[in-house]
Amino acid sequence: MIYDVRQATTYVYGSTVAYAHHILRLMPVNRPDQRVLAAALDITPAPAERREGTDFFGNRVTWITFDQPHNSLGIRFAARISVDRDATIDPDTTPGWQDVRAAVPGVADLSPLSPAHFLFPGRLVPLADEIRDFAAESFPDNRPILAGAVELMHRIKAGFRYEIGATTAATTAAQAFALRRGVCQDFSHVMISGMRALGLPAAYISGYLRTTQAPGQLRLEGSDAMHAWVSVWCGAEAGWIGLDPTNDILACNDHIALAFGRDYSDVAPIDGVVFASGGQNYSVSVQVTPVEAERASPPVPAPQGV
Amino acid sequence: MTLTEGARHHASDFGPLLGQYRPPAGAFDELIDADGAVRPHWLGLLSTLAGQRQADINRAFSAADRHLRESGVFYRIYDDPVGAVRPWPLSHLPLLIDPVEWRELKEGLVQRARLIEAVLADIYGPAQLVRDGRIPAAVIAGNPEFLRPLVGVDPPGGAFLRFYAVDLGRSPTGQWWVLGDRTQAPSGAGYALENRIALSRALPNLYRDMHIERVAPFFQAFQSELTSLNRREDSRVSLLTPGPMNETYFEHAYIARYLGFLLVEGEDLTARDDGVFVRTVSGLKRADVILRRLDSDFADPLELSVHSRLGVPGLVQAVRDGKVVLANGLGTGVIESRAMLGFLPALAHAVLDEDLKLPNIATWWLGDPAARADALARINELVISPAFATNRLQPQASPDPAGGQDIVPATRDTLIEAVTRRGIDYVAQEDVALSTTPVWQQDRFVPRPFILRVFLARTADGWSVMPGGFVRIADDLDARAVSLQAGGRTADAWVLSDKPIVPTTLLQSPDHIAINRSAGALTSRAASNLLWLSRYAERAEATLRLARALINRATEDDSGTRSVNRSTTALLAAWNAIPDSMLNVRPALVVSAALQRADLSGALPFLANAAYAAASVIRDRFSPDAWRALADLADYFKEALEPHVSESALFDRINGALRIISSFSGLAQENMSQLTGWRFMELGRRIERTLATSRFLRQFAFGDESGGGLDVMLELADSQITYRRRYVMVAARAPVIDLVALDPNNPRSMAYQLARIANDLAALPKRGDGRLSPPEQIATALSASLVSIDVQAITGEFLLGVENSLMKLADAIAVAYFATHERSDESWDALA
Repeated sequence: MIYDVRQATTYVYGSTVAYAHHILRLMPVNRPDQRVLAAALDITPAPAERREGTDFFGNRVTWITFDQPHNSLGIRFAARISVDRDATIDPDTTPGWQDVRAAVPGVADLSPLSPAHFLFPGRLVPLADEIRDFAAESFPDNRPILAGAVELMHRIKAGFRYEIGATTAATTAAQAFALRRGVCQDFSHVMISGMRALGLPAAYISGYLRTTQAPGQLRLEGSDAMHAWVSVWCGAEAGWIGLDPTNDILACNDHIALAFGRDYSDVAPIDGVVFASGGQNYSVSVQVTPVEAERASPPVPAPQGV
Repeated sequence: MTLTEGARHHASDFGPLLGQYRPPAGAFDELIDADGAVRPHWLGLLSTLAGQRQADINRAFSAADRHLRESGVFYRIYDDPVGAVRPWPLSHLPLLIDPVEWRELKEGLVQRARLIEAVLADIYGPAQLVRDGRIPAAVIAGNPEFLRPLVGVDPPGGAFLRFYAVDLGRSPTGQWWVLGDRTQAPSGAGYALENRIALSRALPNLYRDMHIERVAPFFQAFQSELTSLNRREDSRVSLLTPGPMNETYFEHAYIARYLGFLLVEGEDLTARDDGVFVRTVSGLKRADVILRRLDSDFADPLELSVHSRLGVPGLVQAVRDGKVVLANGLGTGVIESRAMLGFLPALAHAVLDEDLKLPNIATWWLGDPAARADALARINELVISPAFATNRLQPQASPDPAGGQDIVPATRDTLIEAVTRRGIDYVAQEDVALSTTPVWQQDRFVPRPFILRVFLARTADGWSVMPGGFVRIADDLDARAVSLQAGGRTADAWVLSDKPIVPTTLLQSPDHIAINRSAGALTSRAASNLLWLSRYAERAEATLRLARALINRATEDDSGTRSVNRSTTALLAAWNAIPDSMLNVRPALVVSAALQRADLSGALPFLANAAYAAASVIRDRFSPDAWRALADLADYFKEALEPHVSESALFDRINGALRIISSFSGLAQENMSQLTGWRFMELGRRIERTLATSRFLRQFAFGDESGGGLDVMLELADSQITYRRRYVMVAARAPVIDLVALDPNNPRSMAYQLARIANDLAALPKRGDGRLSPPEQIATALSASLVSIDVQAITGEFLLGVENSLMKLADAIAVAYFATHERSDESWDALA
């Protein structure tokens, strides 16, 4: 499946900004199950400095600096990405979760995709007893790890209310768990926290979701937003497998990955330090359009974004 | 007593001094051996003290305390709501270290420093040690100090570790053990220096006669190494501090001054595409080398984990570009975790192909299944604690460490469960028994457990070890509670030499340090705080004068005085020194409120605190006396007044406060070099004084001439004597206004302040195009308007215009000097 992804983000500042540093994680990279055919990032006003690079986890990073007074910042991103993801793995063929847990401390690999990086608490994913106890119910002795993870995902989807505005980008897994509410970021953080508390590696993926519409229905421009889901390490052989707790599905060809990290703070699409006294207003629009004609398969109900 | 060379001396030979000295059974004691014989290297100290009267000893020790107090040595107590600081708790007996033992220790320490540098280079480089199974990946990956943005980045200057401290304890067998490595931003060396100076002054004869290794050469070598890393002539070494709220801020300021480095906070620095710069009142100045006392994860809010105002956005990028040398490098804290301790002995073989000379406390990471099983079997003998916490003796809040005899069954069950589930988060360590060293208690020696922190620096000649150290002594015999926060003491460590020491004192300038008359660059932040400090102090003074004018007239009851008193009260309310609801109450109540209301932004407690707060940010710029005057002023207004305080008591109270302010002003005037920083204080004071005088004129000079307002005006402007000398008559409007506003020879007049302002502005750094700076343009126009106006033409409206211009002047100064983003081509040396 090939997609055109467009995202426009605009910040309007309450007072003139004299100086600003930003870090952008908006440019996709080639991954085993997706290829970047074209990508461009357009920034207004033109930054004084701009440089490209990759972060530790292999995500593309753009650093920009402004040294002239400005009142707004516009970032437009466009890319064509091809996704070919096999989501047909049988959960019961994956190793028992305790075997996976026992394997991780001995891992002799510090490279970006090593499960060792995805085991520990972080600012947004503290390891809380209550989340651990919740997660543990899905992991009886010797259950295959992916079977446990799929059930945990299902229980999160069933037990949590999707609600925009109940949480913010700074909400921790523990706070979202107490609320039993949130958006894709919160659903993902809760699942990651539960897995890690049991000693199981879990990662955070930011990206986009194609919103499948019923036939004949007009696509709404900009109705989509950025999405997030979870990747679970299922042992050396099966490796990392994506699960989307917001929609209770395995990551599939509807999921377009942008960045991979330990939690939201590793992959925040736009981050920065702005020298100004006032606040800011922020708006974002996302559009994900399939380029190829729809396959003959019947449309599935629209999953929820963000 | 006389000592016989080579003979054994028993503790009882020293009479009452050691009469009660009983080290706990099973521990090693530094002073006496297991048979009660005094260890030979202590005999010199003991015999000297035994030959002195107790009173003399106590007098010498008090002198050391006085020195510390007068040097302003303090440390901050965390968790204290008011950020209280505590006097420095010096134990007056040094720890003595035998020269042979020190040589062995040194070899072990230098080996350890080499090992750690190599391990850091591997962790942030090829990670071969992980691939080879020497360190589990999770031990690195789980460490919050493993900073992923730094992976693959060679440290600018060629080294990660440049200043390194090791905490040592001595086991019952007499073997020194490493309790922890300090690789992030080690503290204590500055305190060790202060302890050394204080003690050497208290015990000058001992210090001279005992052949004690000097520590100054160590610091000089470190200083010249860092200075040599500057890539350009116009760069200066900076010391980056988290600021005055940090526990060891005093030390940051002290080390910066001692080594001649510029003390900066994150806000003072800016990272640009071509390097890191300090924002100063004369533009951006290069900072190629930074001695970092800020923890790594706070250092760059853009790329490192903590979104903190303490850091410098873009610092990581500057490191990546090789544009700035950090000492220590970012990410070096990864070594400090307890989990790492367990792997270092094996790493010494793998990395250096050597045995580790100096053992560390036995530690096992419980992510390893075999280690976990063993630790769970021995859980009563071992201490289980968080794997990635750094300080064994000040455990972090969560998860709680527990172990040894302290463990209660309920806790133990939870702990076993936690270790079983996520052993990766824990280490097991052997319980340590620390050795004891004597401290002085009233009139005799008593043994106390201690930890010795020693310091190493990378120098041109390789690793250098400071001969001495920073000793922390527990308050009681429970060896686990060595913490200054919890009331422990510190001591100096004296490394004895077999040879006489060439006497060099610490404070003598060695030949290679050039004479330096400038006080160093003035950062924009420091300049702004200096200006605001003096504005607040001046505002406090004006408010006190106003309050005094009111209390002076409190008992007179003619209609003129009542009317003047109403004006005075109204002005106090307009300045928010009293609430509006007090406009019609008795003068004594009004004045009591102005002296006590901490919630009103114009009342004295608030103004004194604001002055104190501004000064505390730049504390290193003041003499201890000037600093104490400010602290006294803030304290002065904390004392509550009696409910029905008399007018005369209020009068005394006000005069007491005015005396403190004038002593501060006098100390600042006399003891601060009249460099750029002093100019900003002057500007603050002159601007505020002109504003107040103008406001007083508007309030008191235009009423009924016989009503007494003009007398109040003269009193407020402190100009009665001048007036009476010139005019043998009662106060009249025109002469009063002339004297207070226009007379250039009256040091309290507005014209005089403006002349000084012009003078100060002319002395500040400016762009070299010869034109007046924007603040100078405003000040010049203002001066001209006062010089050219006729006294009769001065109206309230005119004065209001003057006040508005003064506000604009203050803004223009802020824009020109405090918010600078412009690059300056001047070199550091031209600054002051």
